Amino acid sequence: MVEFDVPEVDYTRYTNRQLAAIPLAVLAVALLVIAGWTAATGVPVDRGIDFTGGTELRVGVDAPSDQAAREGIRDAFSAEPESIQSIPAEGTYVVTFQQGVSGVQLEEEANAAGFDVLSRDSVSASFGGGSQLTALGGVAVAFLGMSVLVFLMFRTFVPSVAVVISAFSDIVVPVALMNLLGIELSLGTVAALLMLIGYSVDSDILLNNHILRRSGGFYESTHRAMRTGVTMTLTSISAMIVMTITASIVGIGLLSAIGTVLVFGLATDLMNTYMLNLSLLRWYKFEGVKR
Amino acid sequence: MVSIRENWRVFLLVVVLLVSAFALFSPTMGGDDAATGNQADQATNLVYGLQLSGGTRIRAPLDGYVAAGVDVPTDADERSQLEATVAENLDGTLPRDVEARPTGTYGTSEQGTIEVTQPNVTRAGFTAALDAAGVEYDDGEVYQGVSDQTREETVEVLRNKVNQAGLSGGSVQSVSSATSREYFILIEVPGEDSSEVIDLIEDRGTVRIDVYPQLRDGERIDERRRAVLNQEDFRNIGTATEAERSRGYYVPVSIRDSVAPEFEGTMVETGVAQPGGSTCRGGADGWRNSSDPCLLLVVDDQVVNAFGMDSDLAADMQNRQWSQSPRFRLTTTNFSESQEVALNLRAGALPANVNLSTGAGTSSFISPGQGERFKSNSLLTGLFAVFAVSGVVFLRYGSARVALPMIVTALSEVAILLGFAAAIGYPLDLSVIAGFIAVVGTGVDDLIIIADEVMSQGEVRSRKVFQSRFRKAFWVIGAAAATTIIAMSPLAVLSLGDLQGFAIFTILGVVVGVLLTRPAYGDILRALLTDDR
Repeated sequence: MVEFDVPEVDYTRYTNRQLAAIPLAVLAVALLVIAGWTAATGVPVDRGIDFTGGTELRVGVDAPSDQAAREGIRDAFSAEPESIQSIPAEGTYVVTFQQGVSGVQLEEEANAAGFDVLSRDSVSASFGGGSQLTALGGVAVAFLGMSVLVFLMFRTFVPSVAVVISAFSDIVVPVALMNLLGIELSLGTVAALLMLIGYSVDSDILLNNHILRRSGGFYESTHRAMRTGVTMTLTSISAMIVMTITASIVGIGLLSAIGTVLVFGLATDLMNTYMLNLSLLRWYKFEGVKR
Repeated sequence: MVSIRENWRVFLLVVVLLVSAFALFSPTMGGDDAATGNQADQATNLVYGLQLSGGTRIRAPLDGYVAAGVDVPTDADERSQLEATVAENLDGTLPRDVEARPTGTYGTSEQGTIEVTQPNVTRAGFTAALDAAGVEYDDGEVYQGVSDQTREETVEVLRNKVNQAGLSGGSVQSVSSATSREYFILIEVPGEDSSEVIDLIEDRGTVRIDVYPQLRDGERIDERRRAVLNQEDFRNIGTATEAERSRGYYVPVSIRDSVAPEFEGTMVETGVAQPGGSTCRGGADGWRNSSDPCLLLVVDDQVVNAFGMDSDLAADMQNRQWSQSPRFRLTTTNFSESQEVALNLRAGALPANVNLSTGAGTSSFISPGQGERFKSNSLLTGLFAVFAVSGVVFLRYGSARVALPMIVTALSEVAILLGFAAAIGYPLDLSVIAGFIAVVGTGVDDLIIIADEVMSQGEVRSRKVFQSRFRKAFWVIGAAAATTIIAMSPLAVLSLGDLQGFAIFTILGVVVGVLLTRPAYGDILRALLTDDR
C-alpha cells in the first residue's frame, strides 16, 4: 500500500514576515475583489434566485442536439431565461428566470411547449430579500460566536486573534472566488460559508493546542500538528471534491454549491493555518511572550 | 477477555446502533405519519420530504390589512355599523369582507382590531376608509396580512379542502418569517402537481344560492336578484352524483332547520315553487333574459348554474311540508363542478384569500420521478464522498487496523442519525443528506486527531499512556465540536428555507460523535494497539 506522509517543512528558513506576507496578500486581493464587485454591481457577491427572487425550472427537453434544445427553451418562454444549464447525465436542463413572470405561468408555458417539467422553484423578491437579511445575520452571529468561543478557549490575545483572522480569511477568499468564477450566492453556499466557520478553525485549534499546551519544541510541535491537521484537511477536501463533481454530474445544485465553497475554503485554510496562524504563533512564542 | 466494564463505550455504541436499526426497520415504528403529512418508505421507516418524494410546496401570505390597537365597540350593532361604514368606503368591498373585533375577543392580549380581507384593497385605501369611518388608529399598527384568528380559521379551512380533495398526506400550517411580522401559509402536498394544488386554494370557495324571481304580468314581483342561502345555511353535504333521469349532476344537501321555513316561503313567493314546478330555461348564461323564476348556484360570485324546481318538491313547498325535512339537490352541468361545490360546502369558504398572484411567497414543485432520481443520486454522491474519505485515510495510515474502524465509526454516526430521523419522522431532504456528508467529514477529522495522538511518540504500551493521550486528543475534539455547533446554530434556529435540516443534523451528528462514537473509536483503537490485557 502506498503510504503518504505529510512532508516536514523547514520553517526556520522563513521569517515571520515572509510567512505572513502571502496569506495577507491573498486576503487583501480577495477584499479588493469584493470591494470592486460592490462598487461595480452594488452587492458584494452576485445573488441567486434564493435571495433576489425568481424561478428555477428543471425541464426534460426532447431535442436532437444541445443547440436545438437551448433554442427551444429560449423560444418557449415569454421571459428571457437568465441562464440555461444542461445536465447531460439526466438529459435535462435547469433554466432560471429573474423575478418578473410568475413561476406558475412559466410552468404552464413549459408544459405548453411540450417540455417535461420535472421541478419548479419560485421565490418572490420580497421573500428573497428577507432571507438575505436572515442569512447575513446568521453568518455574522456565527462568526461572532466562534470568535468569543476561541477567546474563551485560549484566553490569550495573539493566538486567539490568529485563529479569528484565519477564519475570516477562510470565508472572504471563497466569496471572492465565487465572484470570479460566477458562482451565485444561494442558500447552499451560505450554508457552506457557515460550515466553514466551524470546519476551518479545527486545524487552527489543533495547531494552537499543540504549540501552546504541549511540551516539546516549537518546530517539533508544529510538525506533529501539521501531520494531523493536513491529513484532516486533505481528507475533507478530497471528500468535497468528489461530492462536488458527482453532484454536478447528476445535477444536485445544493450539494455541488456546498462542496465547491468548502473546497475553496479548506484550501484557503491550509494556507492560512500553516503560514499566517503559524507565523503569528511563532512571533508570540519567541518574542511576544517576553514583552 | 473482553470486559464490558473496560469497553463500555463500544458496548454503548453497539446498543445505540441496535436501537437505531430498530427505529429504522421495525414495522412497529413509524409508518404513515399523519402529523407531518409525509408517507413513509416501505423498506425503512424513513420519511422523505418533498424534494425526495416529489410534490408541491406553496408558501404564500394571506391578502388583507389589519389595524391593531383600535377601540372597537363591544355592542354588536354598533360594531356591524362600523364594519358596514368601512366597507362602504372601500371599492368593491362588502361588509362581510370587513371584520371588527373588540379587545380580548381572541386571546387576552390581542387588542381591538379591524381587518379587511378583500384582496384588492391597498394600504392607502384602507387607512382612508378608516379615516372616513372616524376610527382612531396608529399608523404604525396598520400592517399587511390578517389577524391571528382569521389566519387560524383559514388554515383550518385549507386543511379541510386538502383533505376533502383526497390529497393524501397533504399538510397546511402557518409559519412566520424570522425577520418581520410576516406570516405565511405553508401548504405541502406530496406527489401532486402544483396546478392541482393551486386550483384548490386559489379561490375563496364561497357558495351561495340566489333567487331570481319570476316575471309576472310584465314585471318582476321583486326586481332584485338576492341571496337566499349562504354557505353556513347548509348542512349534511352529500357526494357529487350523476342524475338518473336527466342529464347533469347534483349534490344532495340539506338546509338548517332554522332557515328552512323562510327559504320555503321565499320559494313560493318568487314563483320557483309554483304548482307543477318551474323550469329555468335560460340556464347559466341566459337566466337574466328569461321570464322564468330561477335559482342560481353562485360559486365565488360567479353563477355556475341556474335551475328551476321539479313538481314534487314544489308541491311539498306549497304545502309547507318541505321545511319538516329540508333536503334538496344542487344541480350542476358537469361532474367536476359538482365535486367542487360539494368540496367548498364541506370545507367552508376561506376567510381570506391566499395570495398566489403577486408572488409574495414561494412555491416549488418536484415531479415524483425527479424526487426518485434525487434520492438515488444523492445516495450515490454520499457514497462517493465516503469512498474518497476512505481512500485518503487508507493511503495516509497504510493500515487497515487503524483506517477501517475509522470508516466504520464515521458511518455509524450516519446510521444513528438515520435512526433518529426515522424515530421522530423528520422528513429527509437534500439538505439533510448534505448534513450527513458534513457529519462524516467532521467525524473522520476527529478520528484522525485521536489516531494520530494515540499513536504518536512511539508504541502504546499501557492503558495509562493511552488514557492520557486520548484525553489530550479529546480537548481538541471538544473545542472543534463546540465551534461547529456555534457556527451552525443560527441556521438551526432561523427559518432559512431548506437549510434548517442541514444545520440540525450537522449539530446532532457532532453531538452524537463527541459523546458516543468518537470515544468508542478510542476504545477500539486501544484494544487493537495495546499489549496490556
